Amino acid sequence: MQMISKPTPIAYALKDISPKMGLLNGMDVVMSFGDDVTESKNRQLLGICDVSCLSRFAIKGPSAAQWLELNKIKIPPTANSWNQQKSGALVLRLGNSEFLIEDQPEGKLCAALNVADRKALTGLYKVERSDVALLLSGSQVLSLLSELCTLDLREKALGENALVMTQVAGISATIIRQSLNNEPVYRLWCDGTYGAFMWDTMLEIAVEHGGGAVGLSSHYKL
Amino acid sequence: MKLLHCPMNGTRPISEFVFGGEFRDMPDPEASTDKEWAAYVHNRNGAPGLKKEWWYHGPSGTWFIAERNTLTEEVLRTYLFGQETAA
Repeated sequence: MQMISKPTPIAYALKDISPKMGLLNGMDVVMSFGDDVTESKNRQLLGICDVSCLSRFAIKGPSAAQWLELNKIKIPPTANSWNQQKSGALVLRLGNSEFLIEDQPEGKLCAALNVADRKALTGLYKVERSDVALLLSGSQVLSLLSELCTLDLREKALGENALVMTQVAGISATIIRQSLNNEPVYRLWCDGTYGAFMWDTMLEIAVEHGGGAVGLSSHYKL
Repeated sequence: MKLLHCPMNGTRPISEFVFGGEFRDMPDPEASTDKEWAAYVHNRNGAPGLKKEWWYHGPSGTWFIAERNTLTEEVLRTYLFGQETAA
């Protein structure tokens, strides 16, 4: 039987270039856009990486926090904050009663939560997500964000585990700042239908600053 | 830039918000007369002054109430529905 893979939400923006593709969690994703030297330079200066292929699970409702704790998830104590589980999975608290969980590339937490029993509690609603998820890195990343977002996202303004929901390039987006491989990076999620627009907009600015697109293998060992 | 304070997300540019109309107490549909109900459904008070209004923060999907003077544009306070006393 032929296996059918999902395209990444930014697939349309990639149609004119020929990056090295790979398959992760059933999604076609760019592993690298160029040679290692260029990828490394872009990542350190201003790199934009598509990580939409990472597994996600979202749930909301008055019992969502209780249900996650029953499933051994350590949840952030307040709305608009996030934490990282021992497995590396990110748990984002998007409101008092809404959560988004994202695995690392090899993570299994979302798959386990997808099949976990939800009948024991009422007031639980699984949320289907179709995000474009981006990873923004490099010394010039704040120059990019300051052109697209009105909020101050510098380290001293955006707390260590703070999460903001704002507009980036006019699109509603969720942003956090995290450390990945001992480097500070920003993570951004927005609706997948805006993926190609968001990618094109960010890439244009990144190139102006001397950076560019980087593939998944720049940040993760796969 | 005009700013508005969202009770969940803090102060943000007005471009992140959508106006949701005046907040008005609904009369009891079972107990109200036809005239009272029709007035609630069809009539609006356009006179400028202090109004309670629904506002929506788009990026987070948060509906809240803003008490705004529509004559002076001054926003007195904002709070989540049902949390008026805590604001």
